[in-house]
Amino acid sequence: MSEFVNNNILEKLRAEPKNLWKRLLVTAIVIAVVIWGSTSITYNGVTDKGATIAINIIKGILNPETATLFNLGPNGVPYLVLETMAIAVLGTVIGALLAVPVSFLASTNIVPKPVAMVFRALIMLIRTIPSLVWALVWVRVTGPGPFCGVVTQSVCSIGMISKMYITAIENLDTGVLESLDALGCNTFEKIRCGVIPQLMASFVSTAIYRFDINLKDATTLGIVGAGGIGFPLQEALGSGKWKRVGSFLLVLIIVVLVFEWISNQIRNRLARGRS
Amino acid sequence: MAKKNRTPLFDRIFKPEHIVLDNGHTVDRPKSRTPLILVAFLIIVFISMQTTNFNLPRLISRIGQFPVILGQIFTPNLHYFDKVIPLLIETMKMSIVGTVVGCIIGLPLAILASSNINKNKPTLLICRFILSILRSIPTLIYATVFALIFNLGAFAGTAAIAIFTLSIVAKMLYEAIETIDMGPFEAMQSFGATTLQSFWTACMPQILPQYFDNCLYCFEMNVRASSILGYVGAGGLGILIRERTGYRQYHDLGTILLTLFVVVWAIDQLNNWIRSKLS
Amino acid sequence: MIEFKDVSKTYPNGTKGLQHVNLKIEQGEFLAIIGLSGAGKSTLIRTINRMIDITDGQLMVDGVDVMTLKGKELRKFRRKIGMIFQSFNLVSRSTVIKNVLSSDVPDMPWYKTMFGIYSKEQKIKALEALDKVNILEKAYSRCDELSGGQQQRVALARTLNQNPSIILADEPVASLDPIIADIVMSDFARINKDLNISILINIHHVDLALKYATRVIGIRNGEIVYDGPTSEVTQEVLNLVYMGKAVPKSTDKIEIEGMVMNNG
Repeated sequence: MSEFVNNNILEKLRAEPKNLWKRLLVTAIVIAVVIWGSTSITYNGVTDKGATIAINIIKGILNPETATLFNLGPNGVPYLVLETMAIAVLGTVIGALLAVPVSFLASTNIVPKPVAMVFRALIMLIRTIPSLVWALVWVRVTGPGPFCGVVTQSVCSIGMISKMYITAIENLDTGVLESLDALGCNTFEKIRCGVIPQLMASFVSTAIYRFDINLKDATTLGIVGAGGIGFPLQEALGSGKWKRVGSFLLVLIIVVLVFEWISNQIRNRLARGRS
Repeated sequence: MAKKNRTPLFDRIFKPEHIVLDNGHTVDRPKSRTPLILVAFLIIVFISMQTTNFNLPRLISRIGQFPVILGQIFTPNLHYFDKVIPLLIETMKMSIVGTVVGCIIGLPLAILASSNINKNKPTLLICRFILSILRSIPTLIYATVFALIFNLGAFAGTAAIAIFTLSIVAKMLYEAIETIDMGPFEAMQSFGATTLQSFWTACMPQILPQYFDNCLYCFEMNVRASSILGYVGAGGLGILIRERTGYRQYHDLGTILLTLFVVVWAIDQLNNWIRSKLS
Repeated sequence: MIEFKDVSKTYPNGTKGLQHVNLKIEQGEFLAIIGLSGAGKSTLIRTINRMIDITDGQLMVDGVDVMTLKGKELRKFRRKIGMIFQSFNLVSRSTVIKNVLSSDVPDMPWYKTMFGIYSKEQKIKALEALDKVNILEKAYSRCDELSGGQQQRVALARTLNQNPSIILADEPVASLDPIIADIVMSDFARINKDLNISILINIHHVDLALKYATRVIGIRNGEIVYDGPTSEVTQEVLNLVYMGKAVPKSTDKIEIEGMVMNNG
């Protein structure tokens, strides 16, 4: 069959761009990196009780310890969940408020570039240090307890929230300000009627999104003594109370999922407006 | 439909203001919801402050400690680098392998969780449910549990990262898959391809850039996250963080954080370079 | 040969897509299906390769009862029926030749599909298909760099690459400008003559339908109201298809008369 193929087509076939080598090279590099990565991550098998632990935790989730679930005291699940949520609420609110000046000072359309760069470096610094490390530092200042969690989250939240605020600020529609100028508004009036309405929805939306993250984060801060459900969970894991671990995890999953759903609903409404 | 058009509960309790214009036209102004939201918000904040023993005076009286610690962190002990490097490499290895494994497993799960590809409702819902649950548990808790199940060390951390990565990669990916142009897929079906063949040939080229982008994003996030997993015994830099803060050696902590900062910055640059190459 | 025997299609929501359709189409015919939007044109075309299931009657394609096909048989059956879409349905990020080659995928082993490995023979076949629709020079361009008319020709080449005996085209020229639409239609006509492939086209442009098709089917509310050679399509037929007898001649008339005059 191929003898009858006309020359045009054969010529075109030869003109096919050849990037096979490039692809093989990239693939080889990726595979090499992954192999290098797995060299020291050796599977040492499951611990003696590993399988039992795994089964017991899953059993615990499916069949939680009712005594812990409905204990209204300070060691019961309801109070611990309330405490965890309280940490996340305050951490988010304070963080979101602190992020406002920081993000204005880091927006290139508001302040000169060098100033913006300094504040951007600050934001990146906050973002790079893991929240657990922040908590380890703050726990020396405030002492252990949920208050430490609040302070930690307030600081940590500034990083991500500012980053998203900045995007909103830099996308400000300046046409509105121009038209307010034309109406003869002063600076305060311009901010009140031109800037705040534009930014409010996205700021609130960002804060709610961050609340989701903080809620999840607050469940682990307890590991270093910053309050919330993290410490009792860690303790239960350490002492092998698998049923209790199961009930903590079950509640944690439910709370996180419920709040994720609620925050999605609110953010969708903020994005589309009430209808 | 009828349900949607019903007056919201709020407007039935707080009746809209009835305004009659001079020309006789009328308009209903619904009462603002802002005061109600504000009151609820303040109550929540108040309860939260009670629950967390919010104590600003204590913070102010002891804030002096903070600059001291921060000062020590910002004067890192450069001799400590020798100790940091091996564990930094372990952290990197954990993130690389965890990210790759998570991204690879995440792909088929994302396909199963896309309502436009998987027409089988039960598997779709089960898949999404499992992904939601996996996503709701923080990496650090995975690491703690895995450190108990497997032995202490990097394997537990890698497994924790892999599970967390797959849960978010799959979510981001199925959201992307659901927005793609299904025309090519339909065309493939029309000339006799199976669902899998159609997806691979018609949809993969559309989501591939997004997929790589998500993988890079996860990698960046995982490097940060994996640096603390050692705190619960799951390998990497966290072991040092725990040890040094335990001894209050904040100069050494500064060294660890400085290295982490440099590495995260470098990965950020690398990712940006790869992204520009991909597009 | 395609044969509809009292075929009906009722959608789950109660909409009647097709009602008691009887139709016989011989191999090599060029059929234009005209009618208002929502009249059932797309449904009619899509039942042939069973992208849509019929709910009543019997549909035979080359002696096979379409509704008896399942899974692998259905996919094998679809191999010999090409389909062209209004929105081209090409992978716009991929190159032209990759899109054409994608119609070989159903016959390939999974590992070749996975890595997108095609043999030299397949590539030559794909290039030949592109040559048949005069777009060979664009073989290695990305589809999103092409104009609408060029993309539709790539889609046609993709279909030719599967060696179909029937091509179904669902509004293939609806998103093209009149001149390009005419060129694409002439491509269809040439393929119909040269390769003896049956072509069924849904089309809104009556002038193009009358210019290229050999037979016209008029469909209204899921029923066939006209079936005959192109030469016998009169103003009355168009009125019947587009407005129904009861509707008095309105402003639409001018447009339709204009189209007919274009043809003459």
